[in-house]
Amino acid sequence: MSAQAKQFKTIGEDLWKTRTEKINAELFAMTYGALVVQLIQDYEDYAEVNTQLEKMGYNIGTRLIEDFLAKSTIGRCADFRETGEVIAKVGFKSFLNVTPTVTFHPGANSASPAPSATAPGSRTSAPPANNPSFTLTLDENPLAEFVELPEETLEGGLWFSNVLCGVLRGALEMIQIRVHAEFVSDVLRGDEKTEIRVRLVQYLEEEVPVGDD
Amino acid sequence: MSHHLFILSPSDTPLYSLTHLSSRPAAPAPSPLSANLPSWSTSAFAGTLTALSGASSMAQMSTQGGGVRMGGGQDRHVIQMIANASLDMIEDVVRRENGMYLKAVDKFNEWTISAFVTPGNTKFVLLHEGKNDDGIRAFFVEVWELYLKTMMNPFHTAHSTIRSSVFDTRVRASAKKYL
Repeated sequence: MSAQAKQFKTIGEDLWKTRTEKINAELFAMTYGALVVQLIQDYEDYAEVNTQLEKMGYNIGTRLIEDFLAKSTIGRCADFRETGEVIAKVGFKSFLNVTPTVTFHPGANSASPAPSATAPGSRTSAPPANNPSFTLTLDENPLAEFVELPEETLEGGLWFSNVLCGVLRGALEMIQIRVHAEFVSDVLRGDEKTEIRVRLVQYLEEEVPVGDD
Repeated sequence: MSHHLFILSPSDTPLYSLTHLSSRPAAPAPSPLSANLPSWSTSAFAGTLTALSGASSMAQMSTQGGGVRMGGGQDRHVIQMIANASLDMIEDVVRRENGMYLKAVDKFNEWTISAFVTPGNTKFVLLHEGKNDDGIRAFFVEVWELYLKTMMNPFHTAHSTIRSSVFDTRVRASAKKYL
């Protein structure tokens, strides 16, 4: 592990031990489980539930990033790879006490993409496949502690912990990085491991809010 | 010696059932009641009784023969009838007893029925031959812990049938250990 990665690891552990208030893990898992079950009952469409979970995560993420940056003393990341390392070793560690492994996939253009001149508000639905991305592999998922998905959910394509993807997207958007985060595989669905793929869309320029001079 | 476990929801719907054939020798069975009835009795009651005791002694004979064969459909219905009949007894005992493990609540021919009622009013009913209080208590406690883990699943309610194969494997292993 490089010196930088070790440094992130110690920061993460230190944050978890000293500067976080803790709650009972079972209560947390049961609260989230009840939330997902209620969403399923309300919407009755698993794709819609996925979207709603992601939206909720987005709202959490926009607020979480401020808390995170205030507590940790981490400055600006040099590149997207460092962003991935910080998220895994410091972010996940200090909030969920798990450290996912990061696998980085550089894009075809290895230099960070220049902010494009697209009009504000336009959003590509699928980012170009040659943009850099990283995959977070979670060994354990505290949200899905006792969960076994019934058959209809498996067929319907539910990503149980989709809130995490939303949190990543929301948090990064507040620091001017637009990403696309989605689940690739999930042990709850019978796959071998739980993986989230975070792909860079673009770095955002400071945009003048609509209506100002 | 065989054991039959039934898990019933608070509304008495069956959630799970298991038949376990123990490799341990059966305790000596008391003589069947039909021996007390005169042989000329042709009443339906006697017929049922001989059928029941006949079926159980057939199971015992085949156990001694080495390979264990469960009696056919007739035996299975009998088992379920006995389990159902014991529910009234269980409710009586629950009102009297304080703990969760109600020892032997009922007896039918050579079948003893032990019960375990959780605080959430889920009933575990075990039909068995012979006496094995400690083993059965330990078995019930382990099944209870496995049941609790199943209940933690947000998709599971107190009335959903337990279909998890993990639960099934673990209950079988526990039965092998204690019974």
